[in-house]
Amino acid sequence: MKEIQQIPVAQASRTNPFARVFDELTAFCRSRSMFMLHYCTGCGAIELPPAMTSRFDMERLGIQPMVSPRQADILLITGYVSVKTLKRVILTYEQMASPKYVIGICSCTVNGGMYWQSYATAKKLNDYMPVDMYIAGCMPRPEAVIEGLRGLMERVRTGEANGWEDYYRRYDYYLGHQQRLFGEAWQTPTNVIQEAEHYGLAGPETEGEHTALLRQHQQPLEPLEMRIGLKERV
Amino acid sequence: MSVLELLLELVLMPIVAFVIGLFMVLMMRKIGARLQRRVGPPVFQPLYDIVKLYGKRTQVSHGLMHDIGIIMAVGGYVAAETLLPMPGMNGIAEKGGLIALLYVIMIPSLGLALGVGQCANPNGSIGISRALTAMLAYDIPFVIVIFGVAWHFGTTNLVDIIALQQAGGIATWGAVEMPLLAIAGLFGMQAMLGKQPFEIYVAPAEIATGPMVEMGGKYLGGLFVMQSFQLYTAAVIYVTLFLGGGENWLFFLIKIFAVVAIPMSIAFLFPRYRTENLVGLLWKWPVMAGLIGVALLMY
Repeated sequence: MKEIQQIPVAQASRTNPFARVFDELTAFCRSRSMFMLHYCTGCGAIELPPAMTSRFDMERLGIQPMVSPRQADILLITGYVSVKTLKRVILTYEQMASPKYVIGICSCTVNGGMYWQSYATAKKLNDYMPVDMYIAGCMPRPEAVIEGLRGLMERVRTGEANGWEDYYRRYDYYLGHQQRLFGEAWQTPTNVIQEAEHYGLAGPETEGEHTALLRQHQQPLEPLEMRIGLKERV
Repeated sequence: MSVLELLLELVLMPIVAFVIGLFMVLMMRKIGARLQRRVGPPVFQPLYDIVKLYGKRTQVSHGLMHDIGIIMAVGGYVAAETLLPMPGMNGIAEKGGLIALLYVIMIPSLGLALGVGQCANPNGSIGISRALTAMLAYDIPFVIVIFGVAWHFGTTNLVDIIALQQAGGIATWGAVEMPLLAIAGLFGMQAMLGKQPFEIYVAPAEIATGPMVEMGGKYLGGLFVMQSFQLYTAAVIYVTLFLGGGENWLFFLIKIFAVVAIPMSIAFLFPRYRTENLVGLLWKWPVMAGLIGVALLMY
């Protein structure tokens, strides 16, 4: 992680004297209001309902479930991600609005857990997307989940949880791992490099050999065909 | 009244409405939490949500209509607030009246329909078609209620309606003199707020929050602001027509919060109807109650 911190970040000049106040207010509100998109892939999903409902009640911390990636702040992955699932997880992650955070729950997201021998399971989640918080355990109890979420809240408030910036700064690294798993023709509908330039996060490591490979295979997205009614069968 | 005073009221009324609306959202979430034996969110949670959504760095716009749709959705309610009298401030309520209000509170739904239409998300399209169907369903009893109230008081001027009720005391309140219309209005309000069992167009588990599915960042923030206005507007219309408006701020706040608490308490106990059931139900029972109520008023 050391080399990440050394990358100089161009700070836009803030002329408003209250800019710092606004920034702190926004950071505080971000930490106290988290919309969570749970991508429940494994058995870890069992421990989430008690954390959300009357026993532990996440809503008192401002955390509530949302159903669409556009609305969500946290992507919660609870368990092993198979190669097929991981594609969907990455598509979901890229559609979320920044700042966005990823939480990996259970041992499976840390090192593959009990599926470490499986050929179809992605072992380390943070090879494919930046993970802000791991909650280890098989499965972690709701207390541990809440403790982890509180930890993330604290990191969001102090501005330390900026894993999403890493995804744009070092897109080549993550794309390399994705290509290793999904093949060279892998592409997502989101233009991550353009987004990185938009945020001002595009650095020397955003593009590399893997993004060159992506550009080689990339097909422009075409709008879906608009059709009313079903195709007649002959 | 001087022009300056009027301008001040036009600015103040939506702001006050927004603040009250935020507390109504809080009350809604607290009631839900209590019914599920939870603690519920902290006091400033609705504000945290809105500030956070506006502070998002990604704002995915799907085009000009998407932006304008949200502005229409919020702006329609901001316009409606200036037509609704609150204690001490009448705004342009005397110039507007019930008929203008009826039109203005339809603008948000139409704006949302325009905005969501450009997202080209199937869930959004289904959601907004359901929202417009629901509007068609609840507008029939709503128009009957408004006709009945206007007939009874002999005016569509909201300030006059409030003055007439306050002059006669509780015995002349709309809810006492027109109980059937008051019940029909309560039915219509439940559907207008889109609360269960009439929650067909949000339906998170089924069509992924419908119109909101492609909204993130400031777009969703706009919809959260709209929700606060919506709760306030529905409550104040009901209080104005049936509960004698607000004599002073204390009674006004008690009345509007009590009115909003009714649909909220019902909402969390029910699952959801299907679209055709909703239309059937709303065109049958509240319409029947409303028509009988109007007939009783006339004879």
